[in-house]
Amino acid sequence: MKGISATAWGVYSVWHRHAKVYQKTWLFNSLPPLSEPLIYLVSFGYGLTPLVGEVSYEGQTVSYLKFIAPGMIAIGVLSQSFFEGAYGSFIRLSFQKTWQAFLTAPLSFTEVFLGDWLWASTKGTLAGLITGIVAVLWGLYSAWYLILSIPLIVLGSLLFGAMGLLTAGTVRTIDQMNAPIFLIILPMFTLCGTYFPRDTLPPLLGKVATFLPLSSLADLLRWPLGLPQFWPLELLWLLVCTGVFAWLAGRKIYPQLFK
Amino acid sequence: MIRAASPITLEPLVLVAHDLWKNYGDRAVVSGVNFTLNPGEILGLLGPNGAGKTTTVGMLYGSVVPSRGFVQLGQQQVQLQGAQSRYFIGIVTQEDNLDPDFSVLENLIYFAHHYRITGNAARLRAGELLARVGLQEYAKQRIDELSGGLKRRLVLARALINRPHIVFLDEPTTGLDPDARQDFWRLVSQLRQEGCGVLLTTHYMDEAQRLCDRLLLLQQGKVIDQGTPAELIERTVGREMVEIEGVAESLLQQLANQAGTWYRPFGNSYLIALPINNPQSLWEQLAASEPRTLIRRRANLEDVFLRLTGASLA
Repeated sequence: MKGISATAWGVYSVWHRHAKVYQKTWLFNSLPPLSEPLIYLVSFGYGLTPLVGEVSYEGQTVSYLKFIAPGMIAIGVLSQSFFEGAYGSFIRLSFQKTWQAFLTAPLSFTEVFLGDWLWASTKGTLAGLITGIVAVLWGLYSAWYLILSIPLIVLGSLLFGAMGLLTAGTVRTIDQMNAPIFLIILPMFTLCGTYFPRDTLPPLLGKVATFLPLSSLADLLRWPLGLPQFWPLELLWLLVCTGVFAWLAGRKIYPQLFK
Repeated sequence: MIRAASPITLEPLVLVAHDLWKNYGDRAVVSGVNFTLNPGEILGLLGPNGAGKTTTVGMLYGSVVPSRGFVQLGQQQVQLQGAQSRYFIGIVTQEDNLDPDFSVLENLIYFAHHYRITGNAARLRAGELLARVGLQEYAKQRIDELSGGLKRRLVLARALINRPHIVFLDEPTTGLDPDARQDFWRLVSQLRQEGCGVLLTTHYMDEAQRLCDRLLLLQQGKVIDQGTPAELIERTVGREMVEIEGVAESLLQQLANQAGTWYRPFGNSYLIALPINNPQSLWEQLAASEPRTLIRRRANLEDVFLRLTGASLA
């Protein structure tokens, strides 16, 4: 990549195109971020709470539903931003050639990349907020805590959006998308302390899970229940991962558009 | 680098390609291409598939980075100001990259947004362009409901959204039926009348001959000749050709040498050029040789290519 050239309008214009497409089918598009947390909270709430009851987290005992609510916010952020970045961007790049069309207009690669990334992050942020609102209405998370958590939700969305774009730039066929999904996303989904405290995992597995970025996001979103001991490092880890994934994604996608 | 907002210029722009080269590893795909595209001119890049036409166009608008050389649009270098230059350029790529998520009208409105044309101005411009390319009745249709010809017209309309000074048309009529090609040619001719500079790549010699004011003949990335279509034809092959089948090659060679002209194998037959000064004499000698097939016709660009390269354009 040679040079970075961007205007706010260019980035907005790309984001605007994606938002207009989303707007056309907003009813169907808003279904997953709304139904996903509801289904998880209802099924885990009614299904597992009688079995689990309460869990111990950061030296205090909390109800299982209160424990998983921030995890559900993190899951919403992960799934919407990653899958938009991965599938959405891959389809626009390799099938619809939307990226190539953008680049026949006065838009630079940086603007198109940032516009796509911001769109993936927007979807993750919306999903995190919708899940958070469900948790607030359920009485599992305070409205103020949710408002104060917005920067974390945005950061998580940027991170997983960048991870999605890296996937879109790396895979060559849509079937290859299964590799990062089953090797990275699914383990994160299940092992990162979203459904149970990580200290119940075998020590080695627990250590590996700690370095998966969803762990840091879930830990930080649980700040109302108590901040983890190394929270500044976890925050830094999220920032570093975001930067690295975004840089790698740009490096992977650029050669597909400029020869 | 933070770019400025939409630039404005009313001066007609000249596009100059300076010694363009593109190498992939050791392989040179484009080798030392130079040309100037003036306002109100249609310049054709004519060559067979793989001649380097699309790579050259890519270098002109910034999607291909030249290994050497540069492109100048007015006072700007395209490689340095790639995105900004595209405020003045309309691009019709080989592939239809229309937005399948939008209707015909929306494709134009949301593309206009990239040029900071929004709201009513975008709607008005989109409406004007749909009328111009004859797509008003399709305004609300989805892209996948359009035929190939209608899609190409919409891509052209999209390329004109910002009233460009220069339009690049990369193989714009490939795969279209004859009627759709004629429609497209009419639209391209209008652009020239309006003072727009048009760069057209094609491997259809009839398209090049009919539309282009000047031609660059490309083969294996090199310009092998250039000029107006009429100049190229007369200079290279003369005015008339004969397609002949069923005579011995030795006889053709002898007749061609005597007349000071040339011949080439052409499928199962031969092509022989009639000399400009005295075509009738050779024609009568060929007719007297009792061939199975004998056709006399005007020379064309296909013949030029055959003469220069020994290969057909198709």
